[in-house]
Amino acid sequence: MAKADVKLPQMQSGFDFGLCRRNDMLVKQGGKPAKFLKTGTTIVGLVYKDGVILGADTRATEGEIVADKNCEKIHYIAPNIYCCGAGTAADTEAVTDMVSSQLELHRYATGRESRVVTALTILKSHLFSYKGYVSAALVLGGVDITGPHLHAVYPHGSTDTLPFATMGSGSLAAMSIFESGYKEDLTREEGMELVSAAICAGIFNDLGSGSNVDLCVITKGGKEYLRNYKKPNPRTYIREKGYSFAKGHTQVLSTTIVPLKDKVTIIEGEAMEE
Amino acid sequence: MAMAMGCLLPPEPSQAAYREHQSTWSPYENNGGTCVAIAGLDYCVIAADTRMSVGFSILTREHSKIFQLSEKCILASSGFQADIRTLQKHLDARHKIYQHEHNKQMSCPAMAQLLSNTLYYKRFFPYYAFNVVGGLDNEGKGCVYTYDAVGSYERVGYSSQGSGMQLIMPVLDNQLKSASPLLLPAKESATSLTESEAIDLIKDTFASAAERDIYTGDSMELLVVNASGIRREYMELKKD
Amino acid sequence: MFLTRSEYDRGVNTFSPEGRLFQVEYAIEAIKLGSTAVGLKTKQGVVLAVEKRITSSLLEPSSVEKIMEIDEHIGCAMSGLTADARTLVEHARVETQNHRFSYNEPMNAESTTQAICDLALRFGEGSDESMSRPFGVSLLIAGHDEYGPCLYHTDPSGTFWQCDAKAIGSGSEGADSSLQEHYNKEMTLEEAETLALSTLKQVMEEKVTASNVDIAKVAPKFHLYTPAEVEVVIARL
Repeated sequence: MAKADVKLPQMQSGFDFGLCRRNDMLVKQGGKPAKFLKTGTTIVGLVYKDGVILGADTRATEGEIVADKNCEKIHYIAPNIYCCGAGTAADTEAVTDMVSSQLELHRYATGRESRVVTALTILKSHLFSYKGYVSAALVLGGVDITGPHLHAVYPHGSTDTLPFATMGSGSLAAMSIFESGYKEDLTREEGMELVSAAICAGIFNDLGSGSNVDLCVITKGGKEYLRNYKKPNPRTYIREKGYSFAKGHTQVLSTTIVPLKDKVTIIEGEAMEE
Repeated sequence: MAMAMGCLLPPEPSQAAYREHQSTWSPYENNGGTCVAIAGLDYCVIAADTRMSVGFSILTREHSKIFQLSEKCILASSGFQADIRTLQKHLDARHKIYQHEHNKQMSCPAMAQLLSNTLYYKRFFPYYAFNVVGGLDNEGKGCVYTYDAVGSYERVGYSSQGSGMQLIMPVLDNQLKSASPLLLPAKESATSLTESEAIDLIKDTFASAAERDIYTGDSMELLVVNASGIRREYMELKKD
Repeated sequence: MFLTRSEYDRGVNTFSPEGRLFQVEYAIEAIKLGSTAVGLKTKQGVVLAVEKRITSSLLEPSSVEKIMEIDEHIGCAMSGLTADARTLVEHARVETQNHRFSYNEPMNAESTTQAICDLALRFGEGSDESMSRPFGVSLLIAGHDEYGPCLYHTDPSGTFWQCDAKAIGSGSEGADSSLQEHYNKEMTLEEAETLALSTLKQVMEEKVTASNVDIAKVAPKFHLYTPAEVEVVIARL
């Protein structure tokens, strides 16, 4: 191979924003900016008397099409910490997986239960370093040695610590329920009912959210993951006849038969030595 | 799932020059929704959902997309509801004038031609409306006409328009495949289903579209046109 | 009476104190000078027949055109100032074609007649395009539409009547009474052809030949008879 007589540019450490400058230029010339897939979602969480309750809808969308009617948006972080994700599905899954594995290792090293602040710090520093390009909007909740905690995490890395939080395209619908119904020291049943109502508000009033309600109740020393706690959207019509497709429904335009035997030649080799 | 950062397409040179003069004025909105019509030998079924939305918000759950143009002619439209309403009022006025001039109701084929002309008249500032016309022709046969936004139209045996069209049309093609309209001598375009079979199929396609299309839902309005007149039915759809 | 008339017959749109539009009445009088035209409706179709005044042996008979096609399914015969009729027929042709463009269907004969009468009444309205006086022509409009065969008669006042049979022009009085006597609703198209021509024959000064009459039918399409076809009808007289 001939040696290239070209001087390679000196590689510098850090990020290369050349493509960003190119994209800005193209947008100025009238090009279309690249689109990201944002999944519409309603995710919520609240602090109640004995811990934290997280809630999420189960719809995943690609534009105007429902990609998954029953997906899981409450992600595992640690046995005592869960996290609801809104935004690009790949980002929320990757970022919560990454944090959960880091915390798992941290527990092996320390032998102590993970703390919610630890998860929060890892998340926000990761998101901040990606300047909002990792589009994950999260509601993080858990109960640790210091008590119940609930946080909202934004894609750019900023965080809130709140008694109740909502995120995603259905956050306004859900917040209207919380603002009118939340009070301190809710019982478990009251809390679950309020979270469920907030998610339902998102499901029915936000087109990006839909299908079922998932809940996760975290208490000191325990948790209950209530997958499909409510199914308020059953199919409205079922065709009794069903659909049958007669054999030969698809027209055969041409047939070619390739005999496999002729293509295979078997060569006898020497027996392997023992 | 998401598009890669680097896949920006540079604009066409002529396009770039054109854009310099283009204002940011955008007079259109898409209010979503789905319409379906099926023609039988002696009936026609026209259906549409009743959700009206913009972006991720529902504006109303009970907005009819179906408009009765005459005793035997129904129009179902999705797109921009302000344009659709204007179009409906225009056609209604034209039909009143026609009745005064000719002492009869406009036939469905005549209304179909009038709609085509009306849409093409606004070729360079179109009505943002995607229409299906259904009804009975002068022989009492079911007829369905399907349109684009600028007036190209065709008489067919069945059709679908709107946000759920991509989901519904392949199902109808599979279940009702009819002869090509280009065949000579012309073959019957109406489907061979009975009225109740057609209604059953439409109800199922709407229930299915509501599962996967976020702009289709709430409820479905269905009109049956046959020799005994027009019958109206409603069916609940998912509200999420 | 004569005095008032001379004062109020100048403006085409001025009523006399007795409530009359003299110019329109004069135009109706002009019809009575025209050649005779008859029309008969049967269940199979409508027959039109006109007398052509061949004033000179040097005149080319086919150039005297008194029956015209408006659309495939509508024809008309005229009497009076035939030049005026051309304007009306041209208007009707545009209207019927416009209707086909708008609605992809043929225009009804009554609507077409109404459209002609709308123009007939639109005289003296000032603009350069419009007629400055009433149209001095009367028409027999034969059509075949969804309601079957039909015959209409129009006059310069913009009024129209539906008829089973009608004669217009100089011989109309005699022809009309003859038609009233011999016409019946059950007659065939062929009988109608014969009656049309025999009625014309009664009021014509000349002998009926293939060159001094025109016959047309709308059954259900418009057809103007060739001289040979006219000969066949003459032979039946």
